[in-house]
Amino acid sequence: MALSGRFRSALVIGGQGIRARKLRTFLSMLSLFLGVLAVVTVQAGAEIANRALLSDIELTQGKDGSVTAYLQSFEGSSEIIEETLRGQSDVVAATSVQAIVGEPDVKPVNPGGSPIDQTDMYSSGGSMICDNRGCRPTEDATRPPGQAVEMRLTGLGGDIRPIRPLQLESGRWLEFGGEPSLAPSLVLNRAAAKAFERYRVPAEMRVGDSRTHATPRIVGVVNDGGQAPAAYVRADELANWQPATSNQNSSVELSYWPSSERLVQTLEARLSAAGMQGDIYRRVADSREHIGGQLDLMRMIFLGMAALVLLIGVAGILNVGLATVGERVEEFALRRAVGTPRLLLAGIVLAETLIIGLLTAAAAVGAGVVGLEMASRLFGAREPMLQNVAFPWQAGVAGVIAGVVAGVLGGLLPAIRAARIPIATVMRA
Amino acid sequence: MSTPLIQLTGLTKTLKGQGEPRPILSGVDLTVRAGESVAILGRSGSGKSTMLSVIGLFDRPDGGQYLLHGDDISRVPERRAARLRSTEFGFVFQRFFLLKHLSAMQNVAMALVNGQGWHARRKRRDKVMAALEQVGIAHLAKQKPQRLSGGEQQRVAIARALVREPRVLLADEPTGALDTETGALVIDVLHAATDRGCGLILVTHDHAHANRMQRVVRLADGVLVQERQQGVLR
Repeated sequence: MALSGRFRSALVIGGQGIRARKLRTFLSMLSLFLGVLAVVTVQAGAEIANRALLSDIELTQGKDGSVTAYLQSFEGSSEIIEETLRGQSDVVAATSVQAIVGEPDVKPVNPGGSPIDQTDMYSSGGSMICDNRGCRPTEDATRPPGQAVEMRLTGLGGDIRPIRPLQLESGRWLEFGGEPSLAPSLVLNRAAAKAFERYRVPAEMRVGDSRTHATPRIVGVVNDGGQAPAAYVRADELANWQPATSNQNSSVELSYWPSSERLVQTLEARLSAAGMQGDIYRRVADSREHIGGQLDLMRMIFLGMAALVLLIGVAGILNVGLATVGERVEEFALRRAVGTPRLLLAGIVLAETLIIGLLTAAAAVGAGVVGLEMASRLFGAREPMLQNVAFPWQAGVAGVIAGVVAGVLGGLLPAIRAARIPIATVMRA
Repeated sequence: MSTPLIQLTGLTKTLKGQGEPRPILSGVDLTVRAGESVAILGRSGSGKSTMLSVIGLFDRPDGGQYLLHGDDISRVPERRAARLRSTEFGFVFQRFFLLKHLSAMQNVAMALVNGQGWHARRKRRDKVMAALEQVGIAHLAKQKPQRLSGGEQQRVAIARALVREPRVLLADEPTGALDTETGALVIDVLHAATDRGCGLILVTHDHAHANRMQRVVRLADGVLVQERQQGVLR
């Protein structure tokens, strides 16, 4: 109750003091505004960059804490994997093969599945194949150039997005329920969609060395963070068109959360019993730790600079605070005379500077939100990092903390001075 | 006989400045009872205001004993002194010390918004208006001090002193900045407080005002001398 009375009194008197000196309060806020805004901007920039980096890494490596296991396929392995994982949505198996979509029997615009903007770099000599008879151009390399795109085709045993957050950009994602279709549904990545837009290739698909061509249905586009053309397809729809030989010696990826490790161990045991050589290699995604180190140093350097600007603002508040206490000697002496405790007098001065700090923080955070919204609208088209970006709450918290710290630092000395004013000042006046 | 409101016995106070220490009070004895009014006369620099500072707990005596309702508060710590200043004493100064940026009402409310308990807005308003009514300027409640005459300003200051219903009113030359007629009105208002049982200690140079108090003492050479118990001042 006593604390509440003191607290309320401090707020009432502090509010009266601020209202009585509006211009001075405004000038104090102005000097502090830039400092708090600098802190908010640095924190917001770091968080946005952090999110963008993390999001890019998660697209390729999976969410933090998820596990990706790699194993080499061999004869009969795909049946064991399919049988073990049937009905288990927690572990997703993925197999990748090369596929060419477009005109039949032509050399693709990007031999080897290279990024279409870098085809000169990768395809000047055409694809080569080497075996015990020596090296020679692949069959595709000897074909006439035409309108076809080579891409990596990933067959998925289930929905991988809970682990690898592929961002759907248009159309829809694959549906894993129901019977597989003979016309495989493809979800392209950005690079593949770009290639299709540029070359307008007819939709006919050849998987690996298959002699039969499927007619794919392109159902959606996702951002998977890759630069080279790629597409995603249901594993069972892919299997219909995949030559039996292409399954051997290819790599299988298993994506799962650590809670499903037991299932993977069962699979590993069954594969070992069937003749798998070696163990399954596992990699746990630790994106935050990976990028944290990269950003922390930059963040610290910029926060240091922002702190300097904030310090100038604090000096401004301190200066105004000391001058104000000097002017209000009689008021403070009088307040002590009518029973206001020293501590409360100090609290009143601190409350005033704290209110200034908090108002400034609110203004700076508001300016940050508006600034980010404007930047997103003006530069979002050019800079993907700014597209649909939300103001990070961490920047808001940093702004409020900066405001409170500035208020306390700027008000502490004036508060101590106010508390030390002798009451007898009113008697001698 | 009831316990005296204030009882000072052998009170001493020495001012320690840059030069030689200067004894101001050298054994002051004074007793004030509830509803009693006492005027303190004395030359400038005789220590009247210092004595009022000690009585009002702005300052502490160097020696002697200070009893308030029988409690020894000679060495009271600052925290309790602040509470006593708020609950037991009301102060009126020569310069009115009204805050320019606050209305008459807010200036009076200052004594209630001092961290010693909390009064809800409505209760605070009622108390303030009652105090302003008591000094006859309730109609000026919303005026800022700049728009009030000297007498009105001093009455706002008296309302501020009365709003907490103190047991002792300490007035340090409250009419010093006012003309004779207005000064007399102010003394009327202060005097009225004693009718409700409030003790009044008035420091003044004006014999006419002192004459209206029940008792008059003079401070000379650091000690109080009784001038008159009842009747006219010599």
